[in-house]
Amino acid sequence: MLRLNPVARKRLERFKAIRRGYYSAIILAVLFVLSLGAELIASQRALLVVYEGEWYFPTYGDIIPGETFGFDYRYETDYKALKTRLEANGEGLVIMPPVPYGPLETDLAVGDFPPHAPSLETKHYLGTDTSGRDVLARIIYGFRIALLFSLLLLVFNYLIGVSIGCLMGFWGGSFDLIFQRIIEIWSNVPFLYVIMIVASIVQPGFWTLVAIMVFFGWTGITWYMRTATYKEAARDYVMAARAIGASNSRIVFRHILPNSVSTLITFVPFSVAGGITSLTALDYLGFGLPPPTPSWGELLKQGTENLDSLWMVMSVVVAMTLVLMLVTYIGEAIREAFDPRKFSYYE
Amino acid sequence: MSKLLSFITSLVLALLLQPIMALAENSTPNLPTNLKWQTNLDDPIFASPEAVRGGRFRSFITTFPLTLRLVGPDANGSFAYFLRANALGLVDFHPNTLNPIPMLATHWAFAEDGKTVYYRLDPRARWSDGEPVTADDYLYTLEFMRSEHIVAPWYNNHYSNVIVDVRKFDDHTISITGAVPKPREELLYEYGLRPTPEHFHQLDENWVRNYNWKIEPNTGPYQISKIRKGKYVEFERKADWWGDSNRYLKHRFNPDHVRVKVIRDINMAYQYFAKGELDTFPLNSPRFWHKKAQGDIYEDGLVGKIKFYNDVPQPSSGMYLNEDDPILGDIKVRYAIAHATNVQKVIDTVLRGDYERLNSQYEGYGDYTHPGIRAREFDLVKANQLLDEAGWQERNGQGIRMKNGQQLSLRITYFSSNHSDRLVIIQREALKAGIDFQLQLLDASTGFKQVLEKKHQIAWMGWSGGGLSPVFWEFYHSDNAHKPQNNNITNTNNPEIDRYIGEYRKATEKAERVRLAHKLQELVHVQGSFIPTFKVPYTREGYWRWLKLPPGHATRTSDSVFSVMGSTGGLFWIDTETRQRIEDGDIERAKPSLIIDETWRK
Repeated sequence: MLRLNPVARKRLERFKAIRRGYYSAIILAVLFVLSLGAELIASQRALLVVYEGEWYFPTYGDIIPGETFGFDYRYETDYKALKTRLEANGEGLVIMPPVPYGPLETDLAVGDFPPHAPSLETKHYLGTDTSGRDVLARIIYGFRIALLFSLLLLVFNYLIGVSIGCLMGFWGGSFDLIFQRIIEIWSNVPFLYVIMIVASIVQPGFWTLVAIMVFFGWTGITWYMRTATYKEAARDYVMAARAIGASNSRIVFRHILPNSVSTLITFVPFSVAGGITSLTALDYLGFGLPPPTPSWGELLKQGTENLDSLWMVMSVVVAMTLVLMLVTYIGEAIREAFDPRKFSYYE
Repeated sequence: MSKLLSFITSLVLALLLQPIMALAENSTPNLPTNLKWQTNLDDPIFASPEAVRGGRFRSFITTFPLTLRLVGPDANGSFAYFLRANALGLVDFHPNTLNPIPMLATHWAFAEDGKTVYYRLDPRARWSDGEPVTADDYLYTLEFMRSEHIVAPWYNNHYSNVIVDVRKFDDHTISITGAVPKPREELLYEYGLRPTPEHFHQLDENWVRNYNWKIEPNTGPYQISKIRKGKYVEFERKADWWGDSNRYLKHRFNPDHVRVKVIRDINMAYQYFAKGELDTFPLNSPRFWHKKAQGDIYEDGLVGKIKFYNDVPQPSSGMYLNEDDPILGDIKVRYAIAHATNVQKVIDTVLRGDYERLNSQYEGYGDYTHPGIRAREFDLVKANQLLDEAGWQERNGQGIRMKNGQQLSLRITYFSSNHSDRLVIIQREALKAGIDFQLQLLDASTGFKQVLEKKHQIAWMGWSGGGLSPVFWEFYHSDNAHKPQNNNITNTNNPEIDRYIGEYRKATEKAERVRLAHKLQELVHVQGSFIPTFKVPYTREGYWRWLKLPPGHATRTSDSVFSVMGSTGGLFWIDTETRQRIEDGDIERAKPSLIIDETWRK
């Protein structure tokens, strides 16, 4: 059982008390967990196939070639066709996911030109994009990628930023001075141009993109950490710890970090939002993840270029607004919980 | 007395000078006596005698030109079309028959060395400032183009190493010599030259800057009359243009003024067109043709649409397979890829049936194009069979074929995000045959660099077509294989192809060249390292009803029906009365007008 210290418990309670933020956190967590199982929600693979007495669960793992189910091809089974066939002759059962389309699957019929409008009949609940791919499926997978991306970004940024910021504040002196200058220079490098240059030479993949963004993103948090460390290091309890002979690492990890964590935590939701928006922006500009990766930015671009097919731009704008709103509410609530300002002192 | 004296002096002078004059004449080269002068005044005219002059034609460009120079830095922007269209050449090619026709030269003759052409200049030709166009202006072109002051290395090189000499015989006779012998029609095409007004230019190190916004005298029908920087450029039709007496230039270039407006966004430009502030609009893109070009102005017949099939060398768009790649070195794999590439599905779906399947790299070269070559069709049975034979029998868990532990994964490098939707379909379809295409979208210059360095596996690109006959050496000769920075991006290295290319390059008779070109196209098809994809063998435009076209609408080689200038342009005219009535709203409704002209459809 997780044991929380009284302060943390109090903060958690305060957070729970702020209803809007609390529910936002629950909704976002549910969405995230659901998106981790996106293959069960939106996929061209069936959830379950019962064929000639055998049970198949094609969702995860290797493809099952069409031959297995009596088709005359060796590439992946078209489960929608299988379903139609088995339903017609009653020889088996196919259960498709609620959205029976994968994010990369192009649903095209000769003579009918994408983008297709939303339709319950074709089960394209939010329509298709200009290549005939299901918008809802791409939004779900795009959400997963965007959120994972920004969480990873957050972890790496904070790891580097917090360590360096903390050391700057704790050691001070010339280390502080030198790093201050380095960070000042670093943060003036036009990050977008660097991405554009890199993207024109190699096509960035998921990890390259994380690396580049971390490379330029870690500086932001150092300032806060530096200030917080300076402030804490001058406090009496640090002096006391030092007096009883605590080592530097003990002081940093057991005393200073836990006490400055409240500053950090309040930034987390906004960093997540920042990560999502910057990935979307990069994809929108065409410098992000390689096609055909499902991405909100790419969908947004298609949408703005085809404003007459409003479902594309609407879907992604609504999804984006919703997620950013949730994140912001959570951020608000966390800040409130950590720094309630219940009393004001006037001196 | 003084009269007599002056008479004697002049007589003496004349006698004295005569040998000197003769001497001077001797120093100019003698025209060979056995020249057979040719001209062409018999081909049909393609303009309409009913054309009426007058009115103002309004067109647009998306960026204001950075210069009005024809050469030098920034001189290759989209505006250059208007400037070049008014810099006529010595001869041109009839847009329908493709025979040479006189322009600034009335006659031409070929020397026996196979690389020199003699021209008789039209003495009527005038620069726009009234100066006559003489042989010296052609000599000056050579000096001008070779000068380092123009900061144009391509021209420096072209006029030194491709065109090697220009000679003057008298004020209206010149010869041009190229570096290597070529067939006759190619000589006129490759070794052409435009005059440069010597009296206008002062070449020095400041030329690029000083002449950036100067309006150079030209020989064409229009000259710039007004410039508002960042807004528009206006051209005015020369009232007494010398070219109006030329058989093939008569009744053309009818608008009195042409205003080229800067509209930075194409969607915005369409709104201008829909409001009648532009006369025509290109509707080539499926989005415009099918979706935007609808509404009252079309329903009421005020704006017509035309789809005109032309017959010009098609850009060779497709997939170039690098034979140096260990997987693609196997001809069976190349064939299999061709059979697993579902171009037709792309055309039928995302391209809305607007594009057509390109069948070979050499379409649109008239007689030179092999009529029987067809691209390999999408056929999974054949693809599977070929891959099985090539040893790629196993499939991994993802359904991708394997051979000796290696996956059949191939990278397609492409340069335009607009093509992503096409490639996604090709990728999905190829997976059915167990081929895994990885899509690599690169910025155009980086991607092209990768391809020229031959580090690609499959390049998704096209070379723009051009010239009178296909070229093979650049693309398929082993001289260019396995070396960076040339056009043999498939690294084709086939002795038989080499042999035929050698013969093709030596042949000067057209029939022989056509035969060899056909043979070469067959060999290239067998080689299978190029998978042709799409062609757009037409131009589509929307136009306001006040524009009138000649009976044939346009020509075989027109890349636009309503080009206002240029060698196939200037055929339409403006019915100013109709225009006034439409603008006043005083016009009866008509039926929607859609013209589909398939005269030149192949």
